[in-house]
Amino acid sequence: MDFRTCVNIQKEWDIVGARQFGRDFSKKLGFGIVDQARIATAISELARNIYLYAGSGKICFDEVENVGSRGICIVAIDTGPGIKDISQVMEDGFSTSGGLGAGLPGVKRLMDEFDITSKTGEGTEIRVVKWVR
Amino acid sequence: MAKNLKEILVDNSNGLVHMWLEEVAEKQKEVTNSAISQDLFENTNREFVNIIFGSVEKESLTSDLDSFTERVINLGWPLSYLTDGLQLFKRVAIEFLIEHEELDVPVPKVLRHVDELVNPIINQLVNEYSGSWENTVSLQRVALQELSAPLIPVMDNITVMPLIGTIDTERAKFIMENLLDGVIKHHAEVVLIDITGVPVVDTMVAHHIIQAAEAVRLIGSTCILVGIRPEIAQTIVNLGIDLSKFPTKSSLRKGFTTALEMTNQMIVQTNSEEQTIEELIDSLDRSKQS
Amino acid sequence: MRIPILKLHNYLLISIQIDLDDQTAIQFQEDLLNKIHQSGATGVVIDLTSVDIIDSFIAKVLGDVVTMSDLMGAKVVLTGIQPAVAVTLIDLGIHLNEVTTALDLEQGLIKLRQELEE
Repeated sequence: MDFRTCVNIQKEWDIVGARQFGRDFSKKLGFGIVDQARIATAISELARNIYLYAGSGKICFDEVENVGSRGICIVAIDTGPGIKDISQVMEDGFSTSGGLGAGLPGVKRLMDEFDITSKTGEGTEIRVVKWVR
Repeated sequence: MAKNLKEILVDNSNGLVHMWLEEVAEKQKEVTNSAISQDLFENTNREFVNIIFGSVEKESLTSDLDSFTERVINLGWPLSYLTDGLQLFKRVAIEFLIEHEELDVPVPKVLRHVDELVNPIINQLVNEYSGSWENTVSLQRVALQELSAPLIPVMDNITVMPLIGTIDTERAKFIMENLLDGVIKHHAEVVLIDITGVPVVDTMVAHHIIQAAEAVRLIGSTCILVGIRPEIAQTIVNLGIDLSKFPTKSSLRKGFTTALEMTNQMIVQTNSEEQTIEELIDSLDRSKQS
Repeated sequence: MRIPILKLHNYLLISIQIDLDDQTAIQFQEDLLNKIHQSGATGVVIDLTSVDIIDSFIAKVLGDVVTMSDLMGAKVVLTGIQPAVAVTLIDLGIHLNEVTTALDLEQGLIKLRQELEE
């Protein structure tokens, strides 16, 4: 897939950069203030996962369109160790890093669509979509 | 040759109109609508058939058709009146052409040609009709949304949100956002959510209400759930929903009393009626003197 | 970047006005605990009016700071959480149940005084 923009995640500060970009982007697409916060928070979670578990990766943004509605598509790609048990990380309260364990299931609740593919040793790709209401 | 067919139709329009009107009247007998007067009906039919001919003649869609459709829609006539009329026209035209002696065009060609003449008109009518229908639906949706989460700032620091009707996920989100914005706007220390008008409280509705209450707590206000009817209390307990984290009251009045206590406020009756009247007279006297 | 911590009688006042990154949040946690230790403050108000994103990490840091301060004998009130932030926290499944909240700084101080008097 060809994306309009990508933000590289290497340093901790890149998390803030990515979510600020995502907030501006979603504002341009016409999202309300609450949805802007939802999207920015989801990006923050995704970016932090990349930074914490994979070391480096990128977050890509694009506009998507469907019959009568449009939305934002965000893809987080890394080439880190991958996730062994996807159903486990999608459980509320599961964390290997001492966090709240709200990360991925939280992202799923914040967004409208959520897809995750991961291969051990090769990396993880998480694709989320939110539609303008 | 295609021209010929059309010309034959146009040349014999009088006969066709007559046949069509008869057919329509026949059809009308089956579904008599007493609300529509016979005169109006005949006039509309005549106009309709003329417009059909106009469109067929020009082989394009006329503005007459647009305005006619709009009028019929505004009259509230069913779409089937228009589509039935056109179907009948198709049948009449085909029968007429096939029975026409001077013509030696194969029947399938006749069918196809008439289809090509009439179908665009049908399509346009249906589009127009459904367009107006969608428009109505979206307007109603907006109206409904405006009604769906009203906030009433009753007095300093106390706000009431009465909920009426079914709550779905979409509406729950809207309610939550409106509730939070309202709390900030009215600087409400206590919000009363009144669910007297919510017919069914299932796990999903309860879940949404709990989430809204939690969010209200996060922004620094308190939520009291009021209007819990006996059957709702029963379903809540039977479903195993835990509402113990925030206060609930059976009626808005009780909830309001609690809210007053929480904000250190009281409603006091100031002075008796007699006193008020005396004061009134006093003030009148004074104003006379001055 | 450091978040300034102001002292007012027995209270500490903090207004967070920047987009919090992880490092700043952790630094703030440390600074606040030190300040409580130095000043012997009994109440803390953290105002979040200008914060427009709280993700699960920042939420954890804030929740921790409240618990830690409590251990050191200082009661913390969070004030001014924005509606959009509250909604995302709920979506994330973060309820901050042990945390006292208030609408604004003024209400926060009133709540603190009430709780400390009891």
